[in-house]
Amino acid sequence: MMKLTRIATLVATISMITACGGGSSSSDSASDDQDTGIAINLDNVSKVLETNADIAYAVYSDAVTTAQALKTALTALRVNPTAETLAAAKDAWLVAREPYGQSEVYRFRLSPIDSTDYSSEDGLEGDINAWPLGEALIDYVQVNTTDFGDDQIGVTANDVGINGGGAVNSDNFDNTSPKTNIIGNTSIVIDEDLLSGNLSASDEHDVIAGYHAIEFLLWGQDLNNDTGTTDGTDRDDAVKTRGASNLATGGQRPLSDFEPGYDDETTTYNSSVESDRRHKYLEVVVDKLIADLTSVRDGWAEGSDYRTAFTTITTEAQAKQKLAEILTGMGTLSEGELAGERMQIAFSANSQEDEHSCFSDNTHRDIWLDAEGVSNSYYGEYAGYDSDLDGVDDVITNAVSGYGIDDFLADAGATADASALATALTTTATHYTAIDTAARAGSPFDVQIMTENFNSDSAVYKTIVALNAQANLIADLAESLNIETSVVDDDASACDTSDPTATCD
Amino acid sequence: MMKLFRPDSFRPHLLLALGFLLVGIVLVNLVIGDKAASPAHLSTPDIRQEESLPGGSSSIPYRAIASLEIPSPELTDSAKSLFYAGKALAHQPWVKAPTATTARDGLGPLYNARSCLGCHVKGAKGIVPDDPNKPLTNGFVRLSIPGYDPVLGVVPEPTYGDQLQTESTSLANQLGLVLTQTGEGEVKPEAKVFLQWQSYIQIYPDGSAVELRQPKIDIRDLGYGPFHDVTLFSLRNAPAIHGMGLIEAIPQSEIDALADPDDSNNDGISGRVNLVWSPYKDKLIPGRFGHKASKAEIATVVAAAFANDIGISNPIFPQQPCTSKQAACLNSLTGNDDLGYEIPQDLLELVINFTRNISVPKQRSFPIKGRSAFYQSGCQQCHQPQFRTGKDQSFAQLNDQLIWPYSDFLLHDMGDQLADGRSDFDATGNEWRTPPLWGLGLNKQINGSLNLLHDGRARSVEEAILWHGGEATNARTKFMQLAAEERKQLVQFVEAL
Repeated sequence: MMKLTRIATLVATISMITACGGGSSSSDSASDDQDTGIAINLDNVSKVLETNADIAYAVYSDAVTTAQALKTALTALRVNPTAETLAAAKDAWLVAREPYGQSEVYRFRLSPIDSTDYSSEDGLEGDINAWPLGEALIDYVQVNTTDFGDDQIGVTANDVGINGGGAVNSDNFDNTSPKTNIIGNTSIVIDEDLLSGNLSASDEHDVIAGYHAIEFLLWGQDLNNDTGTTDGTDRDDAVKTRGASNLATGGQRPLSDFEPGYDDETTTYNSSVESDRRHKYLEVVVDKLIADLTSVRDGWAEGSDYRTAFTTITTEAQAKQKLAEILTGMGTLSEGELAGERMQIAFSANSQEDEHSCFSDNTHRDIWLDAEGVSNSYYGEYAGYDSDLDGVDDVITNAVSGYGIDDFLADAGATADASALATALTTTATHYTAIDTAARAGSPFDVQIMTENFNSDSAVYKTIVALNAQANLIADLAESLNIETSVVDDDASACDTSDPTATCD
Repeated sequence: MMKLFRPDSFRPHLLLALGFLLVGIVLVNLVIGDKAASPAHLSTPDIRQEESLPGGSSSIPYRAIASLEIPSPELTDSAKSLFYAGKALAHQPWVKAPTATTARDGLGPLYNARSCLGCHVKGAKGIVPDDPNKPLTNGFVRLSIPGYDPVLGVVPEPTYGDQLQTESTSLANQLGLVLTQTGEGEVKPEAKVFLQWQSYIQIYPDGSAVELRQPKIDIRDLGYGPFHDVTLFSLRNAPAIHGMGLIEAIPQSEIDALADPDDSNNDGISGRVNLVWSPYKDKLIPGRFGHKASKAEIATVVAAAFANDIGISNPIFPQQPCTSKQAACLNSLTGNDDLGYEIPQDLLELVINFTRNISVPKQRSFPIKGRSAFYQSGCQQCHQPQFRTGKDQSFAQLNDQLIWPYSDFLLHDMGDQLADGRSDFDATGNEWRTPPLWGLGLNKQINGSLNLLHDGRARSVEEAILWHGGEATNARTKFMQLAAEERKQLVQFVEAL
C-alpha cells in the first residue's frame, strides 16, 4: 500500500494571523506571494509529471542495461584475466556510471531510489551508490600503525612512489591471520547473504556493495603521488603533488590480483584462492546491483504504485506538491549534495582523496552527470548516455524529449523565471564542462582540488558557485509557484487554518 | 541536594501488578480525587504574530519533503556552502581506518553509529525499535556507577565506560550473521541492546482509554564480561538537532530567571540549573543541551558525540572510545592525523557550524482552541514559550531574535515513572531537562519517528503528556480532565509548533 502524503490547502500562517488582528501591517513575503504566483494549469502539470517519470524510467533502464554489460565484462575478466579484459571491465564500469549519474536528480524526494513506500527512508540507494566505501573490509589496503605514519598515498620514505616501486598486493599489506577482510579471510562464504547480512542500507555498517565496491576491486586504492619523500607525519604531505609521474591515473590494482580466474563457478571456483574470491565477490556485487537497479526502475514503470501516485493529480494542491517534489530533488542535488557535500567538503577538508569515485578518478563525470540530470528535469529531455567515453551521448534508444518545467513556465507566461533558470543552468554547464576537460587532459578532480589549484579561478570553485546560484533560482521558482506555503502536514491539517476561530477537528 | 516537592500520585508500576482493569479504576479515582486548582496565572496570552515563526528569522516555510537539516535562510551563499560542508561530515558515514578517503576514516573501533545523521535521521529524532528482537540502533544506553565526577558528571562503569557501544569495526560485526567469530586483535562490540515493551492501559475520567508502554532494557552478547554490581542504566533516544544555535544564544540570565529551585512560589514546580563541565572554559557552568542538560555548548555536544557515538577522536576529546580494560580497542589502528585527531579542529568547526545554523520550521497551522488548552493546563510553566536571544553573539544571524522553543531548559523532577535513577552532574535520577517542542509535529513526516521522551517510549504527543509526573503532575491531571475534543485540540496545537 502506498502511503501518500495527504495534502491540505493552507492560507499562509501570516495572513491568517493578520485576520485575527495580530499584525495587519505584516509585510512578510509569504503573504505577498499569494497574489504573484504562477498559475497552476493541471493539464500542464500532468505533462511535466509524465515526462519526469518517463525520463526516470528511461535513465534507470539504461542503468540496468549498462550494469548487465558490466557483468558480461566481469565474466570475461574472470574467464580470461588479461590486461585487455581488465581494461574492458573498467571501461564497462565507467559506462555504467553514465546513465546512473543522470538519475541522481531523482533522489531526495522519496522516489523509489530512496523509499519503497513513498514515505520511509528505506530505499536501495545505500546498496547501490553509497560512499565512502568500507574498502578495508573488502580487500587488502595499506595498513600501518597510524593512518599518516608511513602509509597512504606514497608518503613513505621510499625513493620511489608506491606504484613506481612495483606491484602492490596483499603480500605487502595486512599480515594478520586470519585476514580481517572478506577476500583474505577464506572462511567467509561469498554469496548474496554476505551482502544482505551487512545491511548496508541501514547505516550501522560499512558499505561493501554497489558501484563503488566494484570500482575498488577493479582499480584498487588510488595511491599515486609525488615520487619524492616526506617525513610521513604530516597530513598535508599526504596529498597528490603536481608533477608526479603517475598522478593522473586512478588506482592500479595489478593484474595478478585477478590471476588465475576460473571458468565455471560450480566446478572450478576455489574459495581458498584470493583471485577466485575477488571474481566471486565481483559477481555477487554486480548481480545485486542489477537486481537493485531493476527494482528501482520498476518503481517508475507505467502502472506501478509509485508512478501512479506520483502522476495522479486532481487538485491544485496535489499539483503543487508533485512539482515541489521535482524541484526538491533538483535543488537538493544542486546545492546541498553536489556543491556542498561532494565538492565544497572536498576542498574544505583539504581531502584530496575525498572524492566520489576515488579509485577510478572518475569524479569529473559524477559532477557532470549529476548536474546534467538537474538540467534534464528542467527541460524534460534525456539524451541517452555515452557508451564510448568520449563525452558525447551516443546510445539514444531510450532518449526522451518531453514537456519540461521550461515548457510549463513558458505556457504560464513566466518568462522571467524561465530565462533566469536557463541562464543559470548554462553557466553551470560551462563550468562543469571545464572540470571535465581538465580531467581528460590529465588533471582529475583530486588534482583540481589540491590547495595550490583551488582558487576563485578554478573550474571547481566556479561550478560550486554556479550550482548554488542555480539552487537559489530553483528555490525562488518553488516560491513563485506558491509551493512552500501550499501544503501542511497531515496531523495539523485538520484545522481550518484560514479561520482562527474555527474549531480544529 | 534538596528534596523537591513532588505531588506524584501516578504510580503505574504498582498499578501494573493490579492488572489492567484495576488500573483504570484506580486512575479514575486518583484523577478525580486530585482535582487541581486553576491558579490565576494560567491565563492564555494574546496571540502574537511572531509565534508562527518559532526560530525568528531563522524560520523556514513548510517543505514538500520535510526535513530538519535545512540551513537558516539568514545564511549568505558562502556561509551556506560551509553549512553543507559541515553537513557532509555529519551525514556521510565514517569508515574503518585505513582507507583512501583519508578524511573519513577512523570509525570506532567501538561506536553506536557511523554518522551523526545516522541516528538524528534527517535532523529529527531517532527511531526506537518496536520489535523486541530488532536491535536498538538510533539510541543507546548510558552507563555509570554511583558517584559524582566534576568533569564527566558521572562515574563511568569500569569496563564499558559511560556509554554502551553496540557496534564495532570487526569483520564479524560488520558482516552480521555471516561471520560470528571475531578475529584475533579485532574489537568486539560491547553488546547488543534490545527493548522489551511492557504495555498497559490508562483510562481517562471520561472513560476513554490509551495504551502506554514502557521499555525494559534487554542487553545481550556482553563482549567484555559482567557489568559492575551497581551499574546504572539510562536508555536514550537521539533528539532532534534543529535550532540549537538559537538555544545557545539565549542569555543565561533569562534561563536563570525561570529557575525556582526551592519552589518558593509554591506552584509545585522547581526548575533547576544543572552545573556542568565545560572543556572550553575549564570549569562548571550552566548546561542547557542534552536530556539532562549536561552539556553547556553546542561545540561540546558535537565533539562528545563524535568521540563517543562514532568513535572519532577530536581536539576536545582526543581519546578513542576504549576503557583500560579493552586492550584490542586501545591497540587498534586509528585514523589519527599527526596531531592525534581523526577529525581535526577545522573540520569539527564545520560540523558545529552546521549544527548551529539548522533552521526551525514555521508553525504549520494555528489550532487556537488547542493553544488555549495548552496554557490553561499549565504546560507553559515548563515549556516556556518564548525567549529573546542575546545581542552579542559572534554569529549575527542569531542575534536579537524572538524565538519560541517552548522549553525553559531547566531540570524538573518528572516523577518515578520517567526516572532513570542515574544522576548526571547536578541532575538527579528523577530530573530531566524540558525538551523544546518546536518542530516536534514534523518528526513523523520526516523519518517516520514519533518516539518522544528521553527513551522514545511515547508514540504520540498524548502518550508523552500522560507520562508526565512529578512536577508536571498538575498539568497532566488538567489534561486528563479536559474533554476528549479539547485534548485532541491541545495535541494538535503541539503538533503544529
